[in-house]
Amino acid sequence: MELEETFKQIVSDYSEQLYWHVRGIVGDHDDTDDLLQDIFMKIWRALPGFRGESGLFTWVWRIATNEALGYLRKKKVRAALQFQSLDAKAERVIDNDPYFNGDAAQRELAKAIAKLPEKQRAVFSMRYFEDLNYEQISEITGTSVGALKASYYHATQKIKERLNLSDGFESK
Amino acid sequence: MKRHLPYSTPEGYFQDLQQRLADIPGKKQATTFQKFSPYLALAAVFAVAVVVGNVIINRTAAPAAASAREVVEYLMDSDLTLSQLEDAIFYSD
Repeated sequence: MELEETFKQIVSDYSEQLYWHVRGIVGDHDDTDDLLQDIFMKIWRALPGFRGESGLFTWVWRIATNEALGYLRKKKVRAALQFQSLDAKAERVIDNDPYFNGDAAQRELAKAIAKLPEKQRAVFSMRYFEDLNYEQISEITGTSVGALKASYYHATQKIKERLNLSDGFESK
Repeated sequence: MKRHLPYSTPEGYFQDLQQRLADIPGKKQATTFQKFSPYLALAAVFAVAVVVGNVIINRTAAPAAASAREVVEYLMDSDLTLSQLEDAIFYSD
């Protein structure tokens, strides 16, 4: 019963924030919705084993990030087996997304982000949109701060190239 | 400054989402057998097909030809005369 209460508290505290975390990585609303069910199912199953070595936020974000990255990897394999280009598909999805409410520049940014390798995309989204610091991202992903800084730098360089920006795009 | 993702959600989405997620503990989780039963069924069909195919092949295939040694041993045990044996060995194909 206590576990159920804790789980409901996690749902209440984190579900909306976690939605935006996952959406930042996978982009599509329906995919995010499906993934959230799987993520919270995993959280519920793993909750009895949570010992609190890492904070609850880090633990939940780690589960969600791994799940989202796993989903993107599977998607990439499926596309490769069907000889499809994921980049072209991602552009179509963003162009036809009924839940996209940005301007033209934001649309181009979303397309450039969608073309990043999945890990760079996750790091970029956590740093740029969620404003997490490198130490937090390091705890979530299990990657060193140095590697994360390099990953974020490469991501911003690729985005700048795709958007034909020189120094107008802020990196952190 | 925190930047916002240029996305929206359907009307009332987060309320519905929270309700669905909060219901997870009450849901009956699939057992390992339930999760793997489609694969087990597929494996069973494959095994049955292999067994049936094997039986059909064994029943319809021609018997294996006897080896030369078996033919000679058979003829030696028979009551044939030496000339009949020579004929049997040298004129058989």
